[in-house]
Amino acid sequence: MKGLGVNRRQFLGGTAAGLALAGSTKLTRRAFAADKVVRIGFLAPLTGEVAAWGLPGLYGCQIWAEQVNAAGGVNINGEPHRIEFSSYDDEYLADKALQGAQKLVLEDDVKFIMMLGGDPWPGVQPFANRAKMLVSTLLPSDLSPDTPYLIAPAEVHPIYNVTGVEWLAEQRPELKTVAMCAQEDALGLPSIATYRAAFEAAGIDIVYDKFFDISTTDFAPIMTAMLASNPDIICLDTAYPDFVNLLTEQAFLQGFKGQMISCTCDNYQQIVDKTSPEFMEGFVFQFPDFDDPAMQQEQINFSNPKAFYETYQSRYPGTWSAVSWEYAAIMEQWKNAAEKAGSVEPLDVLEAMTEGGKGQHVFGPATWWGEELFGIDNALVGDWPVVAIRDGKAQIQEFRSIPAWWDKHKDLLLKHMSDLGQLWDQRT
Amino acid sequence: MRKSDNTLLRWLGLAALAALVAALPFIVHPYQLIFLIFLLINIILVVSYRFVTITGEWSLIHVVMMGVGAYTSAILAKDLDLSVWLAMPLGGVAAALIAYVLSFPLFRMKGFYFLIGSFAAGEAIRLTWNQFREPFGGPKGIKLIPSPELTLPGLETIDLTFPPINYYFLTAIIMALCLWIMYRLEKSRIGLTLNAIHWKDVLAESVGVDVWRYRMLAFVTGSFFAGIAGALLAHYIGTINPDRFGLAMMLYVLVWTIVGGTATFAGPIIGVVALSVLDEAFRAFDQFRPAIYGVLLILTVRFLPNGLEALPAKLLGLRDRLTGGPRTAAERPRPASGGE
Repeated sequence: MKGLGVNRRQFLGGTAAGLALAGSTKLTRRAFAADKVVRIGFLAPLTGEVAAWGLPGLYGCQIWAEQVNAAGGVNINGEPHRIEFSSYDDEYLADKALQGAQKLVLEDDVKFIMMLGGDPWPGVQPFANRAKMLVSTLLPSDLSPDTPYLIAPAEVHPIYNVTGVEWLAEQRPELKTVAMCAQEDALGLPSIATYRAAFEAAGIDIVYDKFFDISTTDFAPIMTAMLASNPDIICLDTAYPDFVNLLTEQAFLQGFKGQMISCTCDNYQQIVDKTSPEFMEGFVFQFPDFDDPAMQQEQINFSNPKAFYETYQSRYPGTWSAVSWEYAAIMEQWKNAAEKAGSVEPLDVLEAMTEGGKGQHVFGPATWWGEELFGIDNALVGDWPVVAIRDGKAQIQEFRSIPAWWDKHKDLLLKHMSDLGQLWDQRT
Repeated sequence: MRKSDNTLLRWLGLAALAALVAALPFIVHPYQLIFLIFLLINIILVVSYRFVTITGEWSLIHVVMMGVGAYTSAILAKDLDLSVWLAMPLGGVAAALIAYVLSFPLFRMKGFYFLIGSFAAGEAIRLTWNQFREPFGGPKGIKLIPSPELTLPGLETIDLTFPPINYYFLTAIIMALCLWIMYRLEKSRIGLTLNAIHWKDVLAESVGVDVWRYRMLAFVTGSFFAGIAGALLAHYIGTINPDRFGLAMMLYVLVWTIVGGTATFAGPIIGVVALSVLDEAFRAFDQFRPAIYGVLLILTVRFLPNGLEALPAKLLGLRDRLTGGPRTAAERPRPASGGE
């Protein structure tokens, strides 16, 4: 134990304390045994390269469940139900996801499964259809007419990115050219298509637009090539968090002085520290901090977002990201629908959630939409925040309507999605 | 013990193992059945990998060969409407063919250079799947791959993927067949020659053994069975993509094989079964799972450098030390190098 700085006595003492704590946890659980429990499945990557879009979500859900359970749980026909999560690491693999979905449904008896979506979803789809299990995804590109039980109630990635571009074009009309890049995968392809449509709609010329391989580790040449096109704007598309970090750092190191925009800017504080507050000033992205004053407004459909954010930050400092709140926001919608339906059964909740084609999105009233893009109206779409870094802190600049943009420019988006084979009937 | 007694014991052991495999689906939880299906597929994969390593060459392309089988079978069944029953063996054939072509440049190298060369060749194939949306589906891969169906006279057509017990038995039968063929090959004159090449390739060459040809044979044979494993995987989960056959998966295969041990036929099987069960048992620990898995790996490699297959001999040696004095040579189990 020398190497760990722990002697035998400390180790034994620690072990005893751990066992005592485990025992006390068991007692606490027993004390709650009379309550009814609803189990919810969390099936997302918790290890590996994509864990950054799974694990913070699980942290968020656990905090959300603590807050909801402390306030009496979910009220089903007057009876309180405690929420408990069963998680399964799908490692972003379809076979593991299938295994996990079966465990969650058949062994843990979950009533709802939340997934990141993407590559693992096709492995789960036939089973979810057979089991008529309600499943949510963060990636609406998983939706198709063959997925009646799959919903995208939190985000319509990457369509909301149009709001950031539209806002930027209005605020800074002097910006005329953009260079953008993305990894060539299930996230990058539809995202590039969306940004192409958004920049074209905003009258901004795309002077550089290339994919890079997902296994890329050296981003200096990519940024050099982008800067060689002399753009006013650098757009990082929906690059993975590490890629955004490294690309931004390269832009800083290579002396870029213009505007930056990206879908996400997870752990932006680290990027600010690595670059400078001046460099990051005005960096536009799409995911707010939940202590933002704009998030405390009445139309926000999330219980006490500030307390949620502060608990999260104190418990998991430096890990707040786009997905920290998204799964929890989905749970908020599920809870409302279950209480409305008076049932936790998947089909009852789905019916209550989608009744009348309208719903309550985390950022306010929204509509179930997506037929033309996804072949099914299972994506909830409404307003989305445009966020910019001001004095080293993310601040919501404005909520913008995605449907309003869609009504004006949908032909452009459909064209670019089609060009990259991203419409539902083109996805093999 | 007489030879006939040994044979009888071996057959009894195999019968018990077959009975266990047949009984498992009725004992385990339904979701664990899915785990067992993937485990059986992985057993084919590691045993076929060991077949390649018999000649002493370790490659990093084996999982890509699995992918070749998966992609070929998926494309043939989905795009060309070929029967899945025909597409699956053709998946194996395609992997064997690719291995045959690659063996010309790859077996000009040995040892570390072969390892790196095989990795580069594998990446080239994998990136081809990534780059071409037609017919490989690009980064998202291929979805809605048909599942095998069985039509019996007078009965409805059965989808063998649901309930999963059907696919479990299909996979178990194919696995038994693959393992039996590889075992027979290893015990044949070919297997002896492959072992000779491993230990004394120059000597083998000096007595007229065509070393290149035998290495190629092991590589092609191992790739064929890896392709079969890939086809089984593709038709069960119904979707494949290039990332599924990347370096991360190859590292798992290496770890399973090394931890199990390569001296005997059973070594990699013990490795994949033990580590997969452990990995699944630690699911409750979520993100801490890889760390626990890593510690166990280090302990295994530290205390059992010849793999888990050497554990019985190690335990008996420990017993001898504790009870005082070694047992007679006849009582002592054979060390893990007999190729059994």
